[in-house]
Amino acid sequence: MSVPASQMWTVATYVLRQKLRGRPRYPLVLMLEPLFRCNLACSGCGKIQYPAQILKKHLTVEQCLKAVDECGAPMVSIPGGEPLMYPDIGRLVEALVARGKYVYLCTNAILLREKLEAGLFRPSKYLSFSVHMDGPREEHDAAVCRDGVYDQAVEGIREALRRGFRVTTNTTLFEGANPLRVREFFDAMMDLGVEGMMLSPGYSYSKAPDQVHFLRKSRTHELFSTMLSNPARRWKFNQSPLFLRFLMGEHDYECTPWGNPTYNIFGWQRPCYLLQEGYAETFQELLETTRWEEYGKKSGNEKCRDCMVHCGFEATAVNETFGSWRGFRETVAVTVTGKL
Amino acid sequence: MSERDETLEGWEPEVGPDLPLARVIDLAFDYRGNTTVIKTDGSEVHGYIFNRNAGAPEPFIQMFDAAGAGPFRIPYAQIRTVRFTGKDTAAGNSYAAWLRRKEKEQAEPKAHDSEAR
Repeated sequence: MSVPASQMWTVATYVLRQKLRGRPRYPLVLMLEPLFRCNLACSGCGKIQYPAQILKKHLTVEQCLKAVDECGAPMVSIPGGEPLMYPDIGRLVEALVARGKYVYLCTNAILLREKLEAGLFRPSKYLSFSVHMDGPREEHDAAVCRDGVYDQAVEGIREALRRGFRVTTNTTLFEGANPLRVREFFDAMMDLGVEGMMLSPGYSYSKAPDQVHFLRKSRTHELFSTMLSNPARRWKFNQSPLFLRFLMGEHDYECTPWGNPTYNIFGWQRPCYLLQEGYAETFQELLETTRWEEYGKKSGNEKCRDCMVHCGFEATAVNETFGSWRGFRETVAVTVTGKL
Repeated sequence: MSERDETLEGWEPEVGPDLPLARVIDLAFDYRGNTTVIKTDGSEVHGYIFNRNAGAPEPFIQMFDAAGAGPFRIPYAQIRTVRFTGKDTAAGNSYAAWLRRKEKEQAEPKAHDSEAR
């Protein structure tokens, strides 16, 4: 695993503090969407299908920081839309870093080189560019519905690494993914020199144009166990090992929808990053008035039935690591041996 | 390959016993396009409905208007109906359509080559 020790320590102490305080629900990663505008229109994305006046809107840096302070999560992921199209992205990241938040700037990297050359960012242990890479060149370009994007992303990654930035990749896998090709892709990313990789199965957004390529649960187990059993020692994953084992079918977790709360121009999204069933005006209102019992596998909600996405289950896995000796031992064992 | 060919675009529902207002609002909330909210006083608001709360003490919708101003909160009690007047931004934008475009692009040079021969 490749999460830096300082980040692990921050997360561990944060989780233990929440447990000591007896908080039944606490956030781990704030999903901060300053805008929905994007320079791609990926088939698996339900985030960008809005009328023009909505796509033109964005949060102010002050609104973003208010949400960050209100939420209190130690990590902030900035997806979108494409965050490098956000006009104040440099100022926002600087303010988050100054607050000691671990920032994952989730980008397709089309604009990365240009923004780095413009001096928008400074390397920091708190800042990681999390580059969207849905597999090898052919698969990635198909997923983002545009040829040439893989090569642009690789160029952006190289430039960021050359300038001393932390770079991770985030990969969403869909039905039809070839485990052998994905394993070769892991090798390619390690050859590039990224710090670690993040994986997740895709979620079937009702608004996503492509509805037939989302993975169902049994296929997810099959794909991830084929892909990750006997992992190469050099592969580094920037996520909880227990989450990866959950994807492989080694654990049966329940979703933690409040673990990765989402804030955007509409407010605090109910109940999670993927489902969009309404908005609350404050984080407290989100926690207190969302009918959490209606979501997750146990609820019988069909929208949750096949979901195994990181934003619902990574928080569960982290909670397992710090909430039980078994989880802690298992996490340590995988971290030390590298064997999933 | 699934194609999103069902759309509510252009629908002008009449609220009544068979089609309650709450159902129309749910559909409008789920619609990725602008709508026109017809209020009980006859006035209209054109824009994007991004939130609705039927369980609130006074049920309401929230929307940004077509110019992006807002958010505006309108109680259910002040709404007569909602018309699906804006373009459905999710329609005709499918993966299948992209695949067809790509296949066409790939086929074009071949057609060109065979013509040259």
